[in-house]
Amino acid sequence: MLSVQQAGKGCGEVLASAHWVKHLADMSKNTSDVIIIGGGVAGLSTAMQLAMRGTSVTVLEREQIGNGSTGRAAGLLGQLRGTTEHTRMLMDGVEIVKELEAKAGVEIYVQTGSVRVAETPDRAQEITDLVEMGHSINFDIDHIAIDELTERMPYMHTDDLTDACWCPTDGHLQPAELAAAYHKVGRDHHVRYENSCPVTGVILDGNKAVGVQTPRGEFHAPVIVNAAGPWSHLVASLTDTTLPAAALGHVYLTTQPHPDHPVDRLSPGFRNRHHRIYGRPENGGLLVGMYGEDCPVHDMSILPADFDMSAMKVRRDDINLALLIHAAQQRFPWLNERTPMHITTGIMTFTPDGLPFCGQLPDHEGLYYCTGFSGHGIVQSPAIGLIMSELILDGKSTYDIDSIEADRYWDIPGFLDREEIQQRCYTMQGSYYGRIEGKTANVKQKDT
Amino acid sequence: MKILVPCKRVPDPDQKLRLNADATDIDGSAVTYILNPFDAIAVEEALRIRETAHPEAEIIAVSIAPAEGETDLRTALAMGADRALLIEHEGQIDPWNVARILAAVIHQEKPALILMGKQAVDDDANQVGQFLAAQLGWPQATFVSKIEFTTDGLRIHRETDIGIEIIHVTLPAVVTADLRLNEPRYASLPSILKAKKKPTEHSTPAKLGIKPEPRIRLLGMELIDSQRTCEKVTTATDLLDRLRESEVIE
Amino acid sequence: MNKVLVLLEHDGTTLRPSSGSAIGFARELSDEVTALLLGEDLGAIAAEAAKYAPVLTADHESLSQNVADRWAHVITEVARSQNAELIVATSTTWAKDIVGRSAGLLGGAMASDVTDHEITDGQLRLRRPMFAGAVNATLILEGSPKIITVCPSAYNAPKPADIPFLIETLSVDASTLPSATRFESLDCKKGARPDVTEAHIVVSGGRAFKNAEDFEKYVGGLADQLGAATGSSRALVDAGITPNSLQVGQTGKIVAPELYLALGISGAVQHLAGMKNSRVIAAINQDPDAPIFEFADYGLVGDVYKEVPRLIEELNGS
Repeated sequence: MLSVQQAGKGCGEVLASAHWVKHLADMSKNTSDVIIIGGGVAGLSTAMQLAMRGTSVTVLEREQIGNGSTGRAAGLLGQLRGTTEHTRMLMDGVEIVKELEAKAGVEIYVQTGSVRVAETPDRAQEITDLVEMGHSINFDIDHIAIDELTERMPYMHTDDLTDACWCPTDGHLQPAELAAAYHKVGRDHHVRYENSCPVTGVILDGNKAVGVQTPRGEFHAPVIVNAAGPWSHLVASLTDTTLPAAALGHVYLTTQPHPDHPVDRLSPGFRNRHHRIYGRPENGGLLVGMYGEDCPVHDMSILPADFDMSAMKVRRDDINLALLIHAAQQRFPWLNERTPMHITTGIMTFTPDGLPFCGQLPDHEGLYYCTGFSGHGIVQSPAIGLIMSELILDGKSTYDIDSIEADRYWDIPGFLDREEIQQRCYTMQGSYYGRIEGKTANVKQKDT
Repeated sequence: MKILVPCKRVPDPDQKLRLNADATDIDGSAVTYILNPFDAIAVEEALRIRETAHPEAEIIAVSIAPAEGETDLRTALAMGADRALLIEHEGQIDPWNVARILAAVIHQEKPALILMGKQAVDDDANQVGQFLAAQLGWPQATFVSKIEFTTDGLRIHRETDIGIEIIHVTLPAVVTADLRLNEPRYASLPSILKAKKKPTEHSTPAKLGIKPEPRIRLLGMELIDSQRTCEKVTTATDLLDRLRESEVIE
Repeated sequence: MNKVLVLLEHDGTTLRPSSGSAIGFARELSDEVTALLLGEDLGAIAAEAAKYAPVLTADHESLSQNVADRWAHVITEVARSQNAELIVATSTTWAKDIVGRSAGLLGGAMASDVTDHEITDGQLRLRRPMFAGAVNATLILEGSPKIITVCPSAYNAPKPADIPFLIETLSVDASTLPSATRFESLDCKKGARPDVTEAHIVVSGGRAFKNAEDFEKYVGGLADQLGAATGSSRALVDAGITPNSLQVGQTGKIVAPELYLALGISGAVQHLAGMKNSRVIAAINQDPDAPIFEFADYGLVGDVYKEVPRLIEELNGS
């Protein structure tokens, strides 16, 4: 028996209706090996990798390919992450990107190098631990003298810094170019893309996923990938599945080129954890973002199906924007509320531990998750797409993906209720730069 | 010196709009409101005048809006305006009546300068400033891109479609801001905290002795279809023909 | 039907061509159309206007420049003495400034930027854009006189008459004119391009252009033919070929012109975010699969280095 799960109060105002599968004759033109829900970098990368191995793939995007979180992202690449496996994924990702650049003829990876700066003993220790960790896996990282840092970044205030480190192979990935490259290579391998096509229901045969419902009719595939970004938990609810992900708001600023403080295109990206800010050069100016103590929690269910994330704005007197400007000013004194700049805001998909969900959940077969990148979707997408294709086609991955398994919170109390989930994801966002990292202080909270 | 800055609360023009059930207005339930961008420019200019020519200036932001409109009015306070006045009114109101209400406020407040955006990005009427100046019998300077204070009043640069015009007006005057007048600031943290202590006064058209007399009756609205299907042409000539047919070029 | 007073804009020497739209609209509504000209030494201009309607001139040195409070005062007096029920002008910055103030003196029943009209049940229904062109509104004006400004391209000027209409000179009592405004100068910006966020037409260039000279020659050249602003994708700004101020897109400017011409732009989502509300989008790109074609109304697959000169030549010729 086949059944369609109701959209209920998910997916905004588009309602699903229960009905039976249409005649097989209609089905063939909307049938593929894999359906991917979501046309951001996660879905596009996965589609491309699958298609490159001969799989027929349909990407269903609710609004416009690349116009969700992907289109708002800053794309900073800090390859040295918490574990060596993550670092390896990011470094392999860069290699995949270089191949993409050749295939698509666009520059995606801008290798500016990156710096981390410290002005307190805790943060200096973080840097020392990071350098040590990097050396242990032969990653190119080292301490850098503050003088040299000042020369590289004359627009940055460095008088109060006690330590800094430099990673020459870091940089950023240009999100629009990356998405366009995935899209192009995918198209070359016959990926089908549908814009303005929100998924309103999942068609199940028992507990096996066999297709989806959209305003354009049904699409059928034995494998369905939920790469729906901030909407992922709503898509999951179409099968009554609880996905512990939450939609959190984020904002960054991009200054216009400042006549007295030029920022070279290849100036390093930076992270200043004490002030909770990160950034990089952009368009002759400086991009600065913040993982503050607070951020908006978005209720995706009240948004219309054709919600345009690129049209999101912050109010001129938004408190998180004011906090961002205040923090940025500590490190870049020339920057203030009157500096000509552009504000970018969007929605990220967070998880309780800041790591994505990749793989299946116990409640359904054929339903995969590829979401929850917690602000690191752009840079993780190249390797994640490969990992997803391995999971789908080979049943396993060549990477150690224990920490990003989709089922790691399955059925655990405290991760079942939407309020609880939101609270945990919100706390994770706040701890990104709030916590002290490194080998001596795993869960030590920063004293503010 | 008192500067009055009329501030309009408008739907964010970049978002997708939906019409209400009988297509007589935008569906307000699905809309994000912002301070009219041209009015933000006016607020900014008032702040700059206070920072340079007139440190004693008192800046009053005025809005005609439903009670929820207070949030957007308070953006002006957070930017640095001194006082806010909300004239509570529900529903549409046309430029003529907006001007009448503002004139009543002006008779009470007696400002030397009205600084406002040249138009609101919802109705794009570009009329209130001019109506207000006419009702008050004050000189007007519209589409202003630069303001300087002189011994007699203001020396003003205006952006017109044939060039930049320079005029002089005596005070009191109504000035409407154009895009290139300035780039408005965001609210700094100290300024936001300071604004918490600034009150918003409330009033109504009735309290000001104004009963709206509509001059515009909106019969209906339609959304311009934004779904495009690309027609491919093969020559430059064909392209120009299509553009002429669409009446976007001559 | 009604007595219509048409306000004609001129530059001191000739009528502005856009004035034709106002006359065209007025004629569609009424046979009783009178044109009003203000200024100084209006002889030649009045003769030109007299080809389309009887002309009233307020010719005086105190009106030599279009100073809003002075002109609106005179227009209001003439409208009242003529018992005009309808006052019409073409919507330009001049009209918004001066006709707007006149409407404020005449009771405020004004609709601007009208693109179309119909008469239904004896009502004059007007159509005008709202929300930066995303919405078309239909409205009626209540009260008299009604003041209407029409879009320059909305109506056509009627054919000039073989026998010119009468010209009547009005007397102007300068002592009654307001004196709070003084004209200093006008700097006609022939050659300067409009601002990309306010222009009716934007011609935008992308990665296909190899250097700043090419950009100016092709994109700038086409823009000048159309009286348009120039815009650029982020790629050219990154490459130092165009200044930051030209960038259209998510971290640049958001524009919504009548016509957006995307030349050699692939159509990355970040660029689209800056121009997708344009009324008409036309694209020229070498790659038939470029994403821009999914968002354009008209597409030409071709080399911009070849096609743009063709466009320029054709526009030049006509």
